[in-house]
Amino acid sequence: MSLPKPVMRGLLGKRLRFHLPIAFTLSLVAAIAFKYGVTEPRKKAYADFYKHYDATKEFNTMKEAGIFESVRPSVD
Amino acid sequence: MAASSGKCSFTAPVAARCYSHAMVESDEEFDARWVTYFSKPDIDAWELRKGMNTLIGYDLVPEAKILDSALRACRRLNDMASAIRILEAVKDKAGPHKDIYPYLLQELRPTLTELGISTPEELGMDKC
Repeated sequence: MSLPKPVMRGLLGKRLRFHLPIAFTLSLVAAIAFKYGVTEPRKKAYADFYKHYDATKEFNTMKEAGIFESVRPSVD
Repeated sequence: MAASSGKCSFTAPVAARCYSHAMVESDEEFDARWVTYFSKPDIDAWELRKGMNTLIGYDLVPEAKILDSALRACRRLNDMASAIRILEAVKDKAGPHKDIYPYLLQELRPTLTELGISTPEELGMDKC
């Protein structure tokens, strides 16, 4: 039983030529997926919250709740 | 074998074989150069180690004739340990390609018998 001569050169090169494009593509896909699956919804959530945010009204609500030290609720 | 594809350095199996440089060497020339390197009659231990380390750094498994030359250099240096280590290194270089090492042992069997070199498997050194 005589074994035939296998390929002995360029094995790593062949492997890299196959796997590196896949690796780069998958990394890119992962980054894009994270951007549109996580960061964009988050940014939208904040934007939506603050779109109709009335700072003065919120401040007064907090003031009446008595959480501030430098300004007390209006005369009880 | 895959070297003559005319693509750029990314696919070059050997560091010296960068098609963007002037130096282009065929597989046969490469092999011959290394056989000559190890065939030096008064090769010293450092040159043997340096040669093997450089050879192992390439993207290829050395041909049987290069390994034969290296094993004979070990014989001249009375270095059995290095001879066995060369076999271990070559098996490791083949990585997932399990057909390479048995093929090389087949090709080197006459040399191994002649020089009295045991393989790591025969010595039970392949199971840690």
